[in-house]
Amino acid sequence: MASLRLQDLTVEFPVYQANGRSLKKALFSVPMGTNLARDAANRILVRALNHLTLTIDKGDRVGLIGPNGSGKTTLLKTMAGIYEPTSGSLHTQGRVSALLDVQMGMNPDATGRENIMLRGMYMGIHPKDMQVHVEEVAEFTELGPYIDMPVRTYSAGMMLRLAFAASTCVEPEILLMDEWLAAGDSHFLAKAQKRMEDFVQRSSLMVLASHSPELLERWCNKGLYLRNGNLIAYGPLAEVAAVYQQSLAEA
Amino acid sequence: MTVAGKPLSAQADPVQTAKPATPNRGRLALRDLANGMSQHWLWRAMAMQDIVLRYRGSVLGPLWLTFSTAVMIAAMGFVYSKIFHLDPERYVPFLTLGLLIWQFISSVITDGCSAFMSVQHAIQQVRLPYTVHVLRSVFRNLLIMGHNAVLIPIVFLMMGHGIGWQALMAIPGLLILCINGVWISILLGMLSARFRDVPPIVAALLQVVFFVTPVFWTVETLGEYRHVGDFNPLFAAIDVVRAPLLGEPFAPYSWPIVGIMTVGGLLVTAVFFSRFRSRIAYWV
Repeated sequence: MASLRLQDLTVEFPVYQANGRSLKKALFSVPMGTNLARDAANRILVRALNHLTLTIDKGDRVGLIGPNGSGKTTLLKTMAGIYEPTSGSLHTQGRVSALLDVQMGMNPDATGRENIMLRGMYMGIHPKDMQVHVEEVAEFTELGPYIDMPVRTYSAGMMLRLAFAASTCVEPEILLMDEWLAAGDSHFLAKAQKRMEDFVQRSSLMVLASHSPELLERWCNKGLYLRNGNLIAYGPLAEVAAVYQQSLAEA
Repeated sequence: MTVAGKPLSAQADPVQTAKPATPNRGRLALRDLANGMSQHWLWRAMAMQDIVLRYRGSVLGPLWLTFSTAVMIAAMGFVYSKIFHLDPERYVPFLTLGLLIWQFISSVITDGCSAFMSVQHAIQQVRLPYTVHVLRSVFRNLLIMGHNAVLIPIVFLMMGHGIGWQALMAIPGLLILCINGVWISILLGMLSARFRDVPPIVAALLQVVFFVTPVFWTVETLGEYRHVGDFNPLFAAIDVVRAPLLGEPFAPYSWPIVGIMTVGGLLVTAVFFSRFRSRIAYWV
């Protein structure tokens, strides 16, 4: 029984490298500057997520939508436990598998097969236990002999196949994906979608950030609309997408 | 849920509640350390992989490290035994151990600076105990020292230098160096992630320290200023491993200094790590 519960969750982080003054100046010309503040030490504070309260249950396939810089990736990273909430709480039930970046844990000089093991290690799977999955993963990727070639020779789409197959070889209960499926061809996307649907039917949930309406429509049944770190709408995908389209038209 | 084989140790506790870190930061930091230690297979395998991949395609592989150390020992052993008018049979074993231990200490410190920055990709993508990255860095350098250690019996044999039971006292010495390596790496790793000036400062200091620390010259040559060497914490750190292997007594202050350094360092690091652990993901 997988579930994700966010209770009044806020994530803020200070921006260190940027020169405070020039960033501030720059912000006057950028239309997304409402979630910036200063902390006691006069650093620029970004409030990336602003008092979010929502529950995602098993069987939910949530599509995360919103303009660039609205906090989608931060939300995924917070759900994955990478960022800790500044206030409020996050209650996670189930094993999280986050596919935020295709390159994660990949070593370009190692072969596809070695990278499957490597990715497994990062997911906390002992190489001995991962061994049994390697063949199945290799087969799913349909990379053929390329699986024994160094990953630096792969195209973006091949990398994606490998990363997706390796990350989902042990059934994830909570699958978090950032916008990167786009690199896959339609054959692979169909295959990946089939795999996903199997998982979600067996008590797991998925959150997917994407700008592609077609992809969201095919993969998701719920929508979550974020803007400037605020939750604007959360519910059936069609309704949320309509709200989003409307706000785009107004802007 | 069931997974083939063992339960997944990274997510041993499937129900997790993340709350703001303020009230029990210390406990979270301790849990990070405990989880990091219990996932020893993970950082051991990663460290091994680091070495394998670094030398992929080269003929000698990691033995290049050993080879370059051997050349350094031969060259320095010849020149400096002449400069210092020392018997090579005594000086070369001393130099060998000094260099090996120094290389370990200095590479633990420099790698410690990049312990978090070099794995920023992983830190940003997957939840792992932060101590895993630190233990990986220390263990990797221990493995490298293991490769170099094959030189010790070779040099000892060639120089006709014996080794006694006392050498076993080097084991607690090495262990305490590793413990110090862990806190130094956590502390420097965090500082370097936050202030990008730290790694070059540390690198510059290490270079100076190498020459003013009794690594390749003996502390006795300082004469009446001997305490300058004795109170150098890096000399103390080298001495607790080197002296027993050479069959010599420890310098008088080595263990007390190393002891103080360990306890003090762990305390300072505990405070920093508890306070700023959750910030590391933003810093890298």
